[in-house]
Amino acid sequence: MKILATIKKELLLLVRDPGGMALVFIMPLALVVVMAVIQDNTFRQFQETRIDVLLVDEDQDDLGAGIEASFQESGGIRITTREKKGGKALTRDAARKLVQSGDYQAAVIIPVGATATLMGRMDGVVRGLLARGGRDAVETPRAGDAAVRVEILFDPAIKANYRQTLSAAVERMIIGQQAEWLTAAIQEQLADGGGEPPPGIDLSRMIEVAQSDASGKEREGMALNAVQHNVPAWSMFAMFFILFPLAGNFIKEREDGSMLRLRLIAGSQLPVVVGKFLFYAAVCLLQLSLLIASGIYLMPLVGLSRLVIGTNWAGVILTGLAVAMAATGYGLLIAVYFRTPQQALSFGSISVVILAAVGGVWVPVFAMPQIMQSISPYSPLNWGLTAFNDLFLRNASTVDVLPDICKLVCFSGAAIAGSILIHKARTVS
Amino acid sequence: MTTPAVIEVSGLTKVYRGSGKPAVDQLSFEVHEREIFGLLGPNGAGKSTTLMALCGLLRCDAGSVRVFGLDAARHGDEIRSQIGVAPQDIALFPALTAAENLVYFCRMYGLRRSSIHSNVNHFLEEFGLLDKANMRVQHFSGGMKRRLNLIAALLHHPRMVILDEPTSGVDVQSRNMIVDYMTKLRSDGVTILYSSHLLEEAERICTRFAIIDEGRMIAKGALADMLAASGRNNLEDLFLHLTGRGIRD
Repeated sequence: MKILATIKKELLLLVRDPGGMALVFIMPLALVVVMAVIQDNTFRQFQETRIDVLLVDEDQDDLGAGIEASFQESGGIRITTREKKGGKALTRDAARKLVQSGDYQAAVIIPVGATATLMGRMDGVVRGLLARGGRDAVETPRAGDAAVRVEILFDPAIKANYRQTLSAAVERMIIGQQAEWLTAAIQEQLADGGGEPPPGIDLSRMIEVAQSDASGKEREGMALNAVQHNVPAWSMFAMFFILFPLAGNFIKEREDGSMLRLRLIAGSQLPVVVGKFLFYAAVCLLQLSLLIASGIYLMPLVGLSRLVIGTNWAGVILTGLAVAMAATGYGLLIAVYFRTPQQALSFGSISVVILAAVGGVWVPVFAMPQIMQSISPYSPLNWGLTAFNDLFLRNASTVDVLPDICKLVCFSGAAIAGSILIHKARTVS
Repeated sequence: MTTPAVIEVSGLTKVYRGSGKPAVDQLSFEVHEREIFGLLGPNGAGKSTTLMALCGLLRCDAGSVRVFGLDAARHGDEIRSQIGVAPQDIALFPALTAAENLVYFCRMYGLRRSSIHSNVNHFLEEFGLLDKANMRVQHFSGGMKRRLNLIAALLHHPRMVILDEPTSGVDVQSRNMIVDYMTKLRSDGVTILYSSHLLEEAERICTRFAIIDEGRMIAKGALADMLAASGRNNLEDLFLHLTGRGIRD
């Protein structure tokens, strides 16, 4: 009854404090939406591997056609072969200007006669091989023969990994094309020898590289994007900011004497503390629910991805509860330790900002410098964020996130124990 | 005839950590049942320390404090369940209404749910606040807040009440009501420990006094006896004679 009375009292105090309500519910919502919108482009760039490439086909033959077909099949490279205005085929100079201006990241130029030159050489190699039974030296390109020069023009601002990706892709396409022609030339030569042409040889599908998520579970669209990162991250940040109303009210009650009155009532101390803790933990859970709902229903309305929270509801609820306990415990510790609201709120807010930054709320941990990555696992916000990411992105089981949940609960327990010790030391002097 | 002692303070000494000087030093006095006992002294004399020790919220360095025959250091909760304290500060929740404040304190006192509302209404009526029951305390006048502060100490019908400056900052009407109510409480069998700087008011209602200064007892007893022994005319004259005219804070 005393605990329920305290919960009701705290509820009335919060509901009648418009500033507190805004701080607890409206500001976090605004923060999550704004941060997700701001970081959306950054996350897209980080995740995005598509490169816009111009293809200048001066060859107008099989090599150019083969490379264009391969690019079209590729999911990572988007090619343009014609000018936007007029639809004319791109020239070398036009492509250079477009890349220089930054409109495109690269241009692949296949020179005139590339196909003929390559095929001629291929044919010579095959003839030499077959004429000598392959035992002696074969006809190889002579030193004086110029190499077929497929040129790639890069935007200087292009990322190094994009440069490597595109170069490797073009080389792979040419090698594939060469292998195809070589096979065809051998078949043709054998047929010319009077025998039956051998069955078709396909070298293209001998090795296949398959990609799948390490979680091994069927998920789609689970890459870390602005919504998937910002909603859980800033929700936790907001939950830890519960120290504002909690510490503010706690210190106010201490200063105006109402806490002393409660101490003067027999047996009221524990129910008051438990009631406050339960109430603010419940507020944290409500914040989390609201912010997750905003990720699911509001974010798509402002052009962002929809938050996907997976199917492990029990894990999400347990993690949310553990984060709520940790945030409330920390708020209580700050409230008890500091003597004035100014001290408590200044230290509390700055410490939460630091814990959030270290924990990967501002910038994901994998994008931090190595030294920060090694410090990050010591922040309670990192434990919560890791658990949420595991649940949302990797479809983790509750057992998988249990270590992080335990860390959060232990942190909460330590904070509460510290609060009680400090409170007792100061009040029973 | 002297009634039994409900408060027995003997040789109470308390030195706060970091302070070389005792807040109270060898303090001894008794308060008897059904009396209004005035604990007087200038600011910093040791009154609050003494009141905290009586409530069992302070560990003494020496001496003993017994309330209702119980050792305050060991039976604080039991003692607190039988006393009501109206602190000097308005210890209420300003954003709650008068009724909400009182209902909350009733629940914290552990009163039965069925009796809470009638109890609250009874006290609000007694103190002329029934029509303000649903008004938030932040909108109350100083006198109304002070009356509500006193009600919060009485809700559980304590055997003894400790009133620290119960009429500070209130108008004449509110003060009169509070003083009358203290007299009524006494006649109902409640013991009152009263602390105030309003010596005229103390002279009017208290049966006996203890005057402390710099943690030490400098006078105690019935007013008539103290005045006769010192040759002074009234309590204020006696007080200034004993504690001096120098500013204290």
